Amino acid sequence: MSSLDSSFGVRRTATPQAPAAAKRVRRPISDGQHRIGTRAHVALSWIAPLLLLAVWEGLARNGWIEPQVLPAPSKVVATAWKLALHGTLLRDLGTSLLRAAAGFAIGGGIGFVLGTLVGFSRLAEALVDRSVQMIRAIPFLALLPLVIVWFGVGEGQKIFLVSLGVAFPVYINTTLGIRQVDPKLLELGRVRGLSTAMLIRRIVLPGALPSILTGVRYALATAWLALVVAETIGAQAGLGFLAMDAREFLRTDVIVLTIVIYALIGVLADSLARLLERRLLAWHPNYGAAR
Amino acid sequence: MSTLHVAGTEPAVTVTGLRRAYGRRVVIDALDLRIARGEFVALLGESGCGKTTLLRALAGLDPIQGGRIDAPGKPAVVFQEPRLLPWDSLWRNVSLGLPERGAREAAAAALAEVGLGNRLDDWPRTLSGGQAQRVALARALVQEPELLLLDEPFAALDALTRIRMHGLVKELVARHRPGVLLVTHDVEEAIRLADRILVMRDGAIAAEHLPETAADPQRFRALLLAELGVQGSAAA
Repeated sequence: MSSLDSSFGVRRTATPQAPAAAKRVRRPISDGQHRIGTRAHVALSWIAPLLLLAVWEGLARNGWIEPQVLPAPSKVVATAWKLALHGTLLRDLGTSLLRAAAGFAIGGGIGFVLGTLVGFSRLAEALVDRSVQMIRAIPFLALLPLVIVWFGVGEGQKIFLVSLGVAFPVYINTTLGIRQVDPKLLELGRVRGLSTAMLIRRIVLPGALPSILTGVRYALATAWLALVVAETIGAQAGLGFLAMDAREFLRTDVIVLTIVIYALIGVLADSLARLLERRLLAWHPNYGAAR
Repeated sequence: MSTLHVAGTEPAVTVTGLRRAYGRRVVIDALDLRIARGEFVALLGESGCGKTTLLRALAGLDPIQGGRIDAPGKPAVVFQEPRLLPWDSLWRNVSLGLPERGAREAAAAALAEVGLGNRLDDWPRTLSGGQAQRVALARALVQEPELLLLDEPFAALDALTRIRMHGLVKELVARHRPGVLLVTHDVEEAIRLADRILVMRDGAIAAEHLPETAADPQRFRALLLAELGVQGSAAA
């Protein structure tokens, strides 16, 4: 009896203690997390890049880094301003964006149509898929010399290369997306008497959309990469031309500027794709804004 | 086989000599079935007895290898899972396959009937399991079907939700009066809902009961369980 009592006693004293102890352990950690709020976290994460920029600026201004090797960031900004006002920066930027857009539209269109066909039809898969997979095995940039032989270094070469880079990710993700559409939902569509066109519009494409958009996002990055390479090889206008022209005159400020612009547009394209995902996939728990 | 009729004589579906086979394996052979409009029929059977195969044949989802299925209209189906399109709002889900004109109004009325009239524009992912199944029910009823096929629609729900759903289904069926075929393995559910209970075994209808006429519910339950191959525990 006494052992029972004591065991109860132990339990009684232990119960209130355990949570308290747990709290004591947890508290400093959770407080620590609270102390770094989201805003402060963002601010902190900018310290290192800004510091790096400041160091770079200081080193360049004091002549520790030759201007031909790496110009000061302020010099790059000044060059950007000057080129935008008096030079060809905006025209070159426009030319590059137009090439990317044209290549993206052509390659994306081909990838989407082929991907849709193969996703739907076993026959189309048998006819198309193996060839596509074989061509895909080639790193598309390795085709560059051949593409130059075919198209020269004109617009055709650049748009072709971008299209090539874009078509595959869109193709693969479209096919995959269509295959992954829940067969139970397709069955539901049949029970409801949907026509094939309606089945595609109401069930197949919406179901495949998350995957298709993943392909688009990936393709945007590839398109940009393809453009940089194509423009660097030979061009009379565009950002790549600007950079290669500047190389002749050791204008590293212009070269750095084009690199920064390439990076900015890459970031911009990615946010555009993400915006598209948020808008079109609002229904999806992984993309849509929380309710 | 003798067929008992409960409700009116207008048939919702008439099946004669149905044969259903996967390759050489015959799942259903020479099956006859008649369900009248307004009649609630439960089809009991253990897993693999062919009850879902029969329902899928009636729904027109699978081809049949012999016999006839005569149904005046297009049957509506509620599956075990709600099968809502996650990318469409509730009213778009309910009106799937309806003509565009008046679709929203029809969906709104159907959703109101299942108690979700205030959630027309919500996404399916915001629903609980029971609510989602109610939307599936609204989607079936908005077709005004003459034959309603229910494929274990309550199996995935918790016990309390299931009881509420039983009440709702009974009420809706009484109002719309389609012929109903409920496929289930739940004896209680069949007794609670059905006018007529069919027990299926090895691809054929092995027994037929009218729960209304059962004198002793306890013994009736035991009888059904025995017919389903559950012995002993039934009597207890």
